[in-house]
Amino acid sequence: MSVDWLLDDSLAPSIEDDVLGELYRGAARGELVLPFCATCELPLEPEQLVCDGCGAAGPVWRPVPLHGHVHTVTVVHRLERGLVRSTEPYPVADVELASGHRLVLTAVAPGAPPSIGDPVSIGFRHLGGVAVPAFEVSVAANAKESR
Amino acid sequence: MSREPAVIGLGRTAMSIRPGGTASGLAVEALQAALADAGLSRADVDGLLVGSSQGVRPDRVGVTLAQQAGLRDLRLLEHVEIKGATTVAMLERARLAIRAGMARTVVCVFADAPISSGGGAGSTYARSGGNSGTRGLERASGVLGSVPTYALLAQRWLAVTGGDPGSLCEVALTARAWASHNPEAVQREPLDAEAYYASPLVSTPLRRLDCARPVNGAAAVVVSAAGEGPRIRGVGRDHPVRRRRAGGESWFGGGRRALDDALGEAGMTRGDLDVLELYDPFTIVTLCLLEEYGFCEPGKAGPLVSSGALAPGGTLPTNTGGGQLSGFYLQGMTPLVEAIVQLRGEGGERQVPGARTALVGGIGGRLDHHACLILEAA
Repeated sequence: MSVDWLLDDSLAPSIEDDVLGELYRGAARGELVLPFCATCELPLEPEQLVCDGCGAAGPVWRPVPLHGHVHTVTVVHRLERGLVRSTEPYPVADVELASGHRLVLTAVAPGAPPSIGDPVSIGFRHLGGVAVPAFEVSVAANAKESR
Repeated sequence: MSREPAVIGLGRTAMSIRPGGTASGLAVEALQAALADAGLSRADVDGLLVGSSQGVRPDRVGVTLAQQAGLRDLRLLEHVEIKGATTVAMLERARLAIRAGMARTVVCVFADAPISSGGGAGSTYARSGGNSGTRGLERASGVLGSVPTYALLAQRWLAVTGGDPGSLCEVALTARAWASHNPEAVQREPLDAEAYYASPLVSTPLRRLDCARPVNGAAAVVVSAAGEGPRIRGVGRDHPVRRRRAGGESWFGGGRRALDDALGEAGMTRGDLDVLELYDPFTIVTLCLLEEYGFCEPGKAGPLVSSGALAPGGTLPTNTGGGQLSGFYLQGMTPLVEAIVQLRGEGGERQVPGARTALVGGIGGRLDHHACLILEAA
């Protein structure tokens, strides 16, 4: 099993009966699967059971496009012993996905952090055998950087 | 009309940044001190409301505290939980119960003991939160403890408002200036910008000195319609209920309405408030709340802090005990304790002359829950 670049396996999400089970099962297939209102299509928070827009119950989970942009981003310098494997500060970004959802994610691999507004694509890390979505600074952003 | 319920007793333990004590032991100590301060005995208590930290340690206090404290025959006993807004909610609950005749003398207690011999508070928070749900995904993405979350908020806020990151430093220095006159504050040594910028980054832009200092400690108040003490003049609550979506902001209102409601009930305006005691777990929160509560125009919190208005001798004395940042982090009890100290005129060197009215602001979650309390001196 590959070892995650950032964190200890003990931080792997629980996937048995988890509210995000659909997300992790999708991630294992290389898909980002997120909840929408079955009636009005509003993107929902993972914990939402009833749509705050139209009031319909029962979200549907389905794959979304693997891209978005950075709503906000920080670089974490506190490297908690026993939990963080990286010896260097690491980025965490709140990503606005094209689907309308927002997820707080770290990067697929170590590297310079993106800036607010930068486009990112979504890839996956593997933490303790669980596929976890992560952002990748997209080709477009890299091109902008190198100009 | 009967008198409005008042806070007739205040008790607290020493605030310790070293391991020691259990949350329940500390809670009992604070409760007994509050009763002694009010001149009451256990037998006078017929209501107990308990607030606790969110399970970062296994010895979280709950309704069992009634038994631990040797109380009996209560008419009101509840564990109140809306995160950092809990303390204000407890006082609101106590007041409602007294007004409704459910209880006559209600003790509200909060205790926390995040510091163990196994590690500091930062470590305790980094290790708590679990592996399930959205929080589980965030932790699996390196969001350990609450600092990265507020760092994300700070970065966004600075970008959207065009704010100066130096404002964070100003908030930290202002809090320390107040704390230097508060013997209970856990960080009292003088602080200047050089020392602030020498403080290690925890999560950009937040440094260690942008973060509150958790303590092992407890505080308790006695609320009753009989007896003397600062009166509860108004309470306002707002729970905007977070719905994170693309296109939305990382802050979503609610505080202004909570304060408007509290002031409305008290028949006051913002200008009538002599001291502001805000919930300040991170420097960025002070800036957000000054704008959210309407004490300045959007984007103007930084200049307001820089003007010195919040500092000792300023026109808007704020977090006069050093707040959670330099005073002690006991969640919602921190601003409540300081408000009572000021309104009783017991602030010593930090006493704001003539302080008769105080705002106690509580927030819970990530600015998810707002609770505002207006107190007026007896």
